[in-house]
Amino acid sequence: MRSLFAFLRQIGAQVRSLLRALFQRGRIESDMDLELENHLESLIGDLIRAGHSRAEASRRARIALGSVLAHKEGMRASLGLRWWDELGADLRYGVRILRRSPSFTAIAAISLALAIGANTTIFSVAKRVLLDRLSVPHPEELRMLRWNGKELVHGIWGDFDSTQDGVTSSVFSYPLYLQLRAHNDTLQDLIAFKEDGMNATVHGNAQRIDAAMVSGNFYAALGVRPQLGRALQPSDDTTPGAGTVVLISDGLWEREFDRSPAVLGQTITLNQTAMTIVGVNPRGFTGVKNVQQAPDIVVPISMQPLIAPKREASLLNDPDLWWVNVIGRIRPGVKTSQAQAALDVQLQAAIHATMVVSPGDTMPRLELADGSRGLHSADRMLKKPVYVLLALTGFVVLLACANIANLLLARGAQRQKEMSVRLAMGAGRARILRQLFTESLLLAALGGAGGSLLGYFGSNAIPKLLTNGWERIDYGQPLDWGVFAFTAAVTVLTAVLFGLAPAWLAARSEVSSDLKETARTATRRRKGLGGKAIVALQIALSTLLVVGAGLFVRTLIGLNSVDVGFNADNLLLFEISPPARRYPHPKDVQLHQQLEQRIATVPGVEKIALGWIPYISESMGNADFVPEGETFDKTKRQAEFENAVGVHFFPTMRIPIVAGRDFGAEDTSTSPKVAIVNQALARKRFPNVNPIGKRFKADRESSNDWIQIVGICADTRYSNLHDDPPAQFFVPYTQQTKVGSMVYQVRTRMQPALLVPALRQVVQSVDRDLPMIDVRTQREQINATIQMQRALAALTTGFGVLALTLACVGVYGVMAYNVAQRTNEIGIRLALGAQPAQLRAMILRESTGVTLAGIVVGVTAALMLTRAVKSMLYGIQPNDPLTFASGILLLIGVALAASWIPARRAAGVQPMEALRHE
Amino acid sequence: MSHEKRDEQADLLQGTLDLLILKAVSLSPLHGYGVLLRIQQISGEELAIQQGSLYPALYRLEHQGVITSEWGESENNRRAKFYSLTPAGRDRLQMETDKWNRMAGIIGNILRATPEKA
Repeated sequence: MRSLFAFLRQIGAQVRSLLRALFQRGRIESDMDLELENHLESLIGDLIRAGHSRAEASRRARIALGSVLAHKEGMRASLGLRWWDELGADLRYGVRILRRSPSFTAIAAISLALAIGANTTIFSVAKRVLLDRLSVPHPEELRMLRWNGKELVHGIWGDFDSTQDGVTSSVFSYPLYLQLRAHNDTLQDLIAFKEDGMNATVHGNAQRIDAAMVSGNFYAALGVRPQLGRALQPSDDTTPGAGTVVLISDGLWEREFDRSPAVLGQTITLNQTAMTIVGVNPRGFTGVKNVQQAPDIVVPISMQPLIAPKREASLLNDPDLWWVNVIGRIRPGVKTSQAQAALDVQLQAAIHATMVVSPGDTMPRLELADGSRGLHSADRMLKKPVYVLLALTGFVVLLACANIANLLLARGAQRQKEMSVRLAMGAGRARILRQLFTESLLLAALGGAGGSLLGYFGSNAIPKLLTNGWERIDYGQPLDWGVFAFTAAVTVLTAVLFGLAPAWLAARSEVSSDLKETARTATRRRKGLGGKAIVALQIALSTLLVVGAGLFVRTLIGLNSVDVGFNADNLLLFEISPPARRYPHPKDVQLHQQLEQRIATVPGVEKIALGWIPYISESMGNADFVPEGETFDKTKRQAEFENAVGVHFFPTMRIPIVAGRDFGAEDTSTSPKVAIVNQALARKRFPNVNPIGKRFKADRESSNDWIQIVGICADTRYSNLHDDPPAQFFVPYTQQTKVGSMVYQVRTRMQPALLVPALRQVVQSVDRDLPMIDVRTQREQINATIQMQRALAALTTGFGVLALTLACVGVYGVMAYNVAQRTNEIGIRLALGAQPAQLRAMILRESTGVTLAGIVVGVTAALMLTRAVKSMLYGIQPNDPLTFASGILLLIGVALAASWIPARRAAGVQPMEALRHE
Repeated sequence: MSHEKRDEQADLLQGTLDLLILKAVSLSPLHGYGVLLRIQQISGEELAIQQGSLYPALYRLEHQGVITSEWGESENNRRAKFYSLTPAGRDRLQMETDKWNRMAGIIGNILRATPEKA
């Protein structure tokens, strides 16, 4: 105990002393001089007093004291200063060495920076997309309720996926939620939530916002506390329509209220209902739906009938429409499988209690999914591209490391002699290693600094590549410093390892052997082999990256040249979503008609068409299509894609009518119901029959009238670019019983930025609480659906170019070094009668050999790996011969170009000079 | 000062210089040259100390916090750095002294051993 105390006391004293020595270096040095001088003076004085002459006394004193320089060095060592002094010297020398060969320094540092930067960027994004959890305490306890089943559930407002035996979904009816919550004893309190876009008026500014409707226990059960004001409480959602309170997000607080604490008590109008702001959610709060997107506001779910009406009656006691997501924390000690079994029993009971179950219906089965990342619906779309990018970045990092290794190995070989001289002059091996270590670290620091810059900008740029321009997504702090530290450590380790390996060998070698060895060694040495293997590896990796880039670029080109079937240029899109309470049918149709007429007169608007579904936007709508003579059969798929459109839809979109007539002014809400089908539908449902004049029923809502086909239009792509044009039919929206929101498609030659204010004025003059939602051009809309392909093409092309550059540097470096090492051999060959052209060919042949070996490996790997991305390609096969052939030619060309300069140098060698060369 | 007597002087045992310096400055604050004189004086001129090795040792001890220094006026009116013992130094001196005495006793006993006793 005592000795520990003494030890700690001594460490403290040493640290203090070292710091003092470092910061008061000048005073320490002058103190040392003065002290030694005093000593000498006193000694001389004593010697004179003992009877010596001044000169003799001075001589004796100096002998007795010894070398003042050595003593001062000893004193510095005592203070721990020596290590620092040596480090300073190493650094100065290292900087001088790096500055003397700027191209080496630049290439090595840039390789490091690119590897660190690219890796940090991609891994930060990947971590965010694939691993990040909800920002609530203990997200790992959360379990999301899901079900899979068949016939029973007809009305779904939310996510669902078709599986081989039915559908799987994560939404339940509200009565089911209440039953499950009341009888659940394996999870803690169950939370209901529903996120949806809503029209809100904040400060008189109508806008579209993301709203989360949640049960009153939301905040308490999640353990989230607002940063200002109060949370929602169970009392807020007891009476439907009474809890007119709202919490806003940090982002909305900043955007609309300038972070003023006076926000509490102000109101937001949500679908004509005034809601009082009672709190502000913490910064970075994600909600529970997903990690990437946070709701702008949180309101009690009991407000649904007022703020988000879907059907005539309230959804809160509708057992047939399934729409709420349910999540809960698992109780400590309960296994997920136990909880799932218990809740499944509860679900069966609750369904029987709330719904009418026919004898043939299969009951849905309950499943508990991991809820720590919410519904993670983005995963499915992003997972594969992100994995592809991760793999490609891995290759880039490997490539950069190979490049650094290659450079450092060549350089180490070059400096072998310098090391031998140092050893011969008495430098310790450890000391030499330390010197080289310092140099490697210097290089790594340069690379690391560049890498962090690249990573910073890259991490900010990538989310922009992955999102469209008109939706706001808060990505938070995207640069992940943990990832940065990891990558930096790996690459720096590479630099240090390969910087030290040659030094280690040099330090172990006998001093004389390297000094004796001269360039007169005429035979080829095996030393170059390591370098060549690395270059072959670089070529192989480059082949892989170039081929990958080629495939994605060809996919993008293919998608961009798809003929969509309508004219997508000069089209402006936006949505108008009339709130159902204010615009019950038929007021919604009247509103749309009024807006359509007014907008058509705005200067600059050529034509306007309304529609339910915007084209190429990953959205779709369908209805059962039952022609006269067929009967409706629940088990057969009779549904076709449907769109309710304005009268001028076809001329506006420039879709030709190939037979029959277009919609016209004669088609009104009271005239006979009509439809136009496209050629694909005509072929599919009316083979060998003229469909014009035929009648069908569209099984939707209550409309049970016959609809007559009056025309056939040309085919168009529908929800995306890569699927062939599907069957579609079109009906006038004025003849529908329920319309709701519509997409306005405006053909104009004006800049959207100039036209939009005029349009907004028109909309506001009709209803000042109506926002124009998602304003974008049709081109932007199409580009958004191929965002992923564009991002992939851009990133893989970047990687490909990077790979080619690195491989080029690698080939050049190794061949140039090779030629320099073999100057003597080349001289002898020339002296013996070799022609310069022969020598040039010899060098080129060697580099081509290495290149071909690398390409063979690379192509083999590419053939195996590209199969994994088959589903992400369009219009080409993963082993597309054109892409492979051009990739191979490109690499051979680059390798030849890179070795051309060394080859010419070899051919230009003068025999006499070469033999004298040392 | 009698440097001629060097041949008869005993060389310092390894590792004992620190102990001697601690003892010397424990009696009164001393400057470097004073430490040297004090040791030689107490030892009756029997010990030879490498004068140069004194300073690295003083700096090392100060670095370890067992002695501390202060600039003052020397006997011949020059500015000189005076070293004195810190509390930590007092502990160390005590410990080292005990250790030395024990070791000296043990070695002495061994060297006094006779054939009969063994």
